[in-house]
Amino acid sequence: MAILEVKGLRKAFGSVQAVEEISFSVENGEVFTIIGPNGAGKTTTLEMIEGMQAPDRGTISISGMTWDKDADRIKTIIGVQPQSSALFDLLTVEENLDLFGSFYPHSKQSSEVLEMINLTDHRRKNVKSLSGGQRQRLAIGLAMISDPQIIFLDEPTTGLDPQARRNIWDIVLKLKELGKTTILTTHYMEEAEKLSDRVCIVDQGRVVTLDSPANLIDSLTKEREVRLYFQDGESAAAETEQVAKGDSTVVRTELDGSSLKLWSVRPEETLYGVFGFTKEKGYRVEQVSIREMSLEDVFIAFTGKEWRD
Amino acid sequence: MSNGKQLGKLFGAQLKMMFREKQVWFWNLFFPIILMVIFMVIFGGGGGSDFKAKIAVVKPSATEASDMLEGYLRQVPVLEWKSEQPITAEEADEWVKDKDVDAVIVLPGENETTLGIIVNKENERSATTQAIAGILDKFVQQTNYQVAGVTPTFSVETTAVSSGSEDLSYVDFLLTGMIALAVAQGGLFGMVDMVEMRRKGLLKRLRLTPVKMGLFGVGGMMVRFILGIVQIVILSLIGVFGFGAKLHLDFPTLIVGFLVGALAFNALGYLFSSFSKSIEAYMGMANIASFLMMFLSGIFFPTSGFPEWLVPVSQVLPLTYFVNGIRDGMVYGSGIASADFWAGIGILGAWGIVAFALGVLIYRKTKIEVR
Repeated sequence: MAILEVKGLRKAFGSVQAVEEISFSVENGEVFTIIGPNGAGKTTTLEMIEGMQAPDRGTISISGMTWDKDADRIKTIIGVQPQSSALFDLLTVEENLDLFGSFYPHSKQSSEVLEMINLTDHRRKNVKSLSGGQRQRLAIGLAMISDPQIIFLDEPTTGLDPQARRNIWDIVLKLKELGKTTILTTHYMEEAEKLSDRVCIVDQGRVVTLDSPANLIDSLTKEREVRLYFQDGESAAAETEQVAKGDSTVVRTELDGSSLKLWSVRPEETLYGVFGFTKEKGYRVEQVSIREMSLEDVFIAFTGKEWRD
Repeated sequence: MSNGKQLGKLFGAQLKMMFREKQVWFWNLFFPIILMVIFMVIFGGGGGSDFKAKIAVVKPSATEASDMLEGYLRQVPVLEWKSEQPITAEEADEWVKDKDVDAVIVLPGENETTLGIIVNKENERSATTQAIAGILDKFVQQTNYQVAGVTPTFSVETTAVSSGSEDLSYVDFLLTGMIALAVAQGGLFGMVDMVEMRRKGLLKRLRLTPVKMGLFGVGGMMVRFILGIVQIVILSLIGVFGFGAKLHLDFPTLIVGFLVGALAFNALGYLFSSFSKSIEAYMGMANIASFLMMFLSGIFFPTSGFPEWLVPVSQVLPLTYFVNGIRDGMVYGSGIASADFWAGIGILGAWGIVAFALGVLIYRKTKIEVR
């Protein structure tokens, strides 16, 4: 059952059309990631869902409830970590959690949350003296203090070092284990690919595509790029290219000195044939690689790579 | 969680935050104390000691008249003699230039009938010089009467009075002024947190939770009341024990004046915060308001000495009424029953209500920009 349903959202700020038309629905327990270039309308969309902005048009239903009727009840089942980590700097980690916990009719023990965000050792520290990663973990902790069903994480890893980013991934995966629904935005494709059940690419205020990371990558193209580097020089590469061209699995080839690129729909079959030939001829192949397609290719394919600013 | 429990948490958290902020300590306690001590030392006579002027006498020649005048002068209690012996004119010039004495009195020489006063040019218009001239004038007059053998029919006796108590001194006036100023500034400057909370997105973050923002405000106000009470107590202790201020406390008057005033000035701070995009903008505004009122509301000096055109300005400022209310409750020992007091409280309250209503309106209208 869909825990969040968004239909035909539209929002303008003055003459700027921030969100054109956005619709999607999120299933219970999913990690749902919204990605898109800067200014695509991600944050505006999130803020409308979180009840911070009223949409000009469209409907939002959270667990069957709407903002105009059930604002107070919705607030108790969602937890939000906004982009700016808004914390009480003069309070300690634990005091922040206790204070936010007191806002809700039911809240988790702060010790339990501290454990999950791995700040137990720092619980008596003033927020002022925390590192960027620790602050961000606390901001996520505050979003979890009410034990909400849906958690919104708006760019939780932006500006963090690789270790700190991985710590946050662990938290997201733990939330998933607990059966929580997570709505995530990010600029890191690797992160979206690793964490999400489904990815929604947004550009210029519209949903461009929406599917699981694997399906998105598959849908991008059937061909994979295979690269071979020959130790015996250009002639060996050129001869091999002629052979590969006769293979039905190869769609296209490209020769650049001693390096040969093949685009194949079945790379393992193509390579079998190619290696049969090189073995027969005694050509030595120094490097072989099959380029993996990633979500980043999907993203660029859908949103283009021209300069935007 | 119930409202009461939530309020308790919000109050506790804001109390901790306030007392952990060093700026709060400096501006709300240290700064008013320094300001008050400076003013009291300069204008308050430093612990109520009496007026004294240090003088010396030049006696060009020992005549009967000059001997007699010197003899009388030695009986004037407020004059402190730098030298028991008369000095030369050269020495006199030197001492006055070096400010070793406040004045040198030159007694009449042979066949002369004028007394001279030598003072430093810098001090020509100072209160001490005026006083010495006044004393000498009176003294010469008395001597003339005696020489002429007449008894003056009329004399003037000055008695300082104020409503309520007979012994209202400048120290009391200044102490209560400083208390009002400190509490008012606590409100005017105190809402800087709101600007910071808005800038950091904390206000927005709170709106994402079911917390009642009204309770947050009430909790904050309770914290400010506590700060105000601390200010009153500390400044009073310093005024009373350090400078001999005498208080006639009337608690109902003081409590009403304090509560209404603290609310009004916090409402003004809230209004400033509603249209300040940065801390700098807010502080600028609070500073202007605070400086204007500091001098126009009779904190340091009574407003009665103002030029006529300035009086109406002083009469619209909220601090004027707040300081009057505080004085009613702390030194005049009266007020709760007087119509003047309630009129002042009414004006103060009106300022607060208007400022708060405007602030709420502006907060609703402006989109919160988070950076």
